[in-house]
Amino acid sequence: MSKPAKNLLRFLGASVLIVLLAAALNFIVDPLQLFRSARFYPAVYSPDSRMQNAGLIRSQDFDTVFMGTSLAVHFRQSDIDRTLGVRSLKLATAGSTSAEQNFILDAALRRRPKMIVWEMDEWIFRDAPDVDAEAYMPADLYRMNARGIAGYLLGLDTTRESLWALLRFFKPLEIVAHGLAAAQYLKFYETRVNEINALPASADLALFYNASKTKVAYAYNLKNPSEISAGYNYEAMLRNFERDAIGLIEKNPNVEFRIYFPPYSILQFVAMREIAPDTLQLVYKFSAYVIDRLLSLPNVTVSDFRDAQDITHDLDNYLDLVHHSPVVDLKVLAGLAAGEHAVSREAPLASIKRLQSQVDAYRLKRER
Amino acid sequence: MLFNSYPFIFVFLPIALAGYFLLGKAGNLAPILWLALASLVFYSFSNWQFVPLLLASVAFNYAVGLLLIAKRLHPGLRFAVLTVGVAGDLLVLGTFKYAGFLAANLNAIFSTGITLNILLPVGISFYTFTQIAFLVDAYRGNVGRYALPHYALFVTYFPHLIAGPILHHRDMIPQFERAKTKRPDAHLILCGLIIFAIGLFKKTCLADGIQPYVAMAFGPVTPTFDQAWIGALAYTFQLYFDFSGYSDMAIGISLMFGIFLPLNFNSPYKATSIIDFWRRWHMTLSQFLRDYLYIPLGGNRRGTILRYVNLMITMALGGLWHGAAWTFVAWGALHGVYLCINHAWNNFGPAIPPRFTRLAEIAALILTFLSVVVAWVFFRADSLSSALDILSRMVHPTQFTWGYREMFATGIVGLYALLCWIAPNTQAIMNYDHKGRTVSEKLAPWQRWPAFLYAAAAVLALGVLGIQQHSEFIHFRF
Repeated sequence: MSKPAKNLLRFLGASVLIVLLAAALNFIVDPLQLFRSARFYPAVYSPDSRMQNAGLIRSQDFDTVFMGTSLAVHFRQSDIDRTLGVRSLKLATAGSTSAEQNFILDAALRRRPKMIVWEMDEWIFRDAPDVDAEAYMPADLYRMNARGIAGYLLGLDTTRESLWALLRFFKPLEIVAHGLAAAQYLKFYETRVNEINALPASADLALFYNASKTKVAYAYNLKNPSEISAGYNYEAMLRNFERDAIGLIEKNPNVEFRIYFPPYSILQFVAMREIAPDTLQLVYKFSAYVIDRLLSLPNVTVSDFRDAQDITHDLDNYLDLVHHSPVVDLKVLAGLAAGEHAVSREAPLASIKRLQSQVDAYRLKRER
Repeated sequence: MLFNSYPFIFVFLPIALAGYFLLGKAGNLAPILWLALASLVFYSFSNWQFVPLLLASVAFNYAVGLLLIAKRLHPGLRFAVLTVGVAGDLLVLGTFKYAGFLAANLNAIFSTGITLNILLPVGISFYTFTQIAFLVDAYRGNVGRYALPHYALFVTYFPHLIAGPILHHRDMIPQFERAKTKRPDAHLILCGLIIFAIGLFKKTCLADGIQPYVAMAFGPVTPTFDQAWIGALAYTFQLYFDFSGYSDMAIGISLMFGIFLPLNFNSPYKATSIIDFWRRWHMTLSQFLRDYLYIPLGGNRRGTILRYVNLMITMALGGLWHGAAWTFVAWGALHGVYLCINHAWNNFGPAIPPRFTRLAEIAALILTFLSVVVAWVFFRADSLSSALDILSRMVHPTQFTWGYREMFATGIVGLYALLCWIAPNTQAIMNYDHKGRTVSEKLAPWQRWPAFLYAAAAVLALGVLGIQQHSEFIHFRF
């Protein structure tokens, strides 16, 4: 064999060996806990829900799944467990579409939970690409197929996290790891599953959530009228609702679905009233259809917090038009436990009518 | 199909190589046909609907070229044939790439309400320019008669088809005709693999690695002073490692087939003037614009003023070639202005005393680099107003964020800057000589150590590990 040919084989052999070593490291450390719960090192979790949920579904024990968007992402599992008397797993994912939520829930339902608590609003049913076309959705990891496992084991990101998971054992490097996590270079740094995406207990809530922020968001929306209506298409939303929500619920008749509509600030609907009245009518019409359709299924209960005036009219509860504070999280959980704001099958449109009259009557007081 | 994908690296490339060398035993034509077919398969993976357009373009240009080469036509008729050929190419390019842009501008001015949603065939700008050069050279009498399979391979050759380098027929077709390239050469395959590994590492580890920080300036949130600079610099390095990484991969892949592609980058951020920068950045495009646009416009032969006008036209059109948007035109025009200033300085500026030469070079390097960064803001921004907004943030150091992320990103940007300014480039590491058709013939002692081979293997391994599912090359849209 010629020298270049020998060198070529050495080169290819060494490359393959290094790749295999990285894959072995990733398999042993398994930062996502896909293959087993963490044993050799303290488990660490990532705030990237789309990635992390794939591991949580496989590594955690739960009988209830908590699903939703950014409006549900900072709930604490301990609060859910205490209030509803369940053992929950939060899989809420910021900015998620109904297609993504359906996909994640479908994977979680293979673990046979008894109940799904689902934060649902009309916005999740906007048209969106398939989960396989979503850039940040590792769909094959949920499927645990060869492509997904290969992508995980042969990933540079996984290798980096695996290395740091080990390096954290050395005290001086633990400080470096904290710094890298603070710089968002390392993704897996949360050591308590309960705290994933939760606001730190020490956070000054009044700084994050206050009326002036809500009013700034309101003023911004008035100046940018196209944004508040973006993605609202009645036919598409209906189609996606039937496919992603009804399809999933009907497929799992033995699972209880507790669906709630979150308490947006009243200014969200008032902004629609001012700049996008057609969109507001679409929301009412779509909500009426959705609630009626959901309540036609025996394994579903619906709660509608959009008319919860004590929450929605207090603008200090929000950081923009829709995102509410952790204080409201607890109120929502308490409301779900007590059956407050539950929509009855006899009067499915009552909450929407109350919301309509609140929106019609509301006038934002001008600051002096 | 992407170079930085498992299907390409582990399936397509090995099959293409094996078929090429196996058929090489059967003669000179079969491997050419195989490679052309493989190139069409490569193209059809993501652009199957545009394969007929590509084939039609090849057939059209070959026929026009044949008329210009083979037929003894009257000069006026020859010019008419050339005009038809070039106009046909530009018409197709214009329809697919610029019709939507034109409609949007007409709508903005006249409220015409025209809506056009035309998909852009990937690589159309590259294969159109390649063939225009062929037609012009055929008209000038600088082309011998090529066989159709060789010509078709020259246009469709998959290492360059989607994003260059822009090839020249006189450079490529004689290489395709050589019987020697059909025999596997372990040395060339090894060197090709190492160059490919460097390119893959540049793309998947360096370009994709710095990509998250680009959003600091170009994301939805208005940046502060430090974020605007970090984002602009991060994009400066991302674009370089992305595009030069792709070019390295193309050169490496081609080298495995025994074909030497031209260099496309030569450490552009080491340039000490804008003229120097354009001799180092996207070199094959610069050469094309010089030979087939700037010189035919008159170049520098008609006085200083017309030279500057020609420079502005060339660079503005060069900008438009990159994308159908005013931001690209602004980027090109800005470089046109830079070039005019550079030429004026060369003509009328003071001479630098010898003792200040080193200092002047450093100052020139920094000034050139900053000018390029400012221009990249136009290149990357979604709109002119957005670009101006970011630039305004970059000159107002009143608002700082300077959190952990910004500090870390500054460190990363600094590392990338060092890499660009201090590290040798791929051709220097591999001693790649395109014109001499040699690679690694005169390596330094350290490059002969086994450690070099294993370091290169590690680079390939890291490049493969860095492959992400959704990572396209920035310049695919050109």
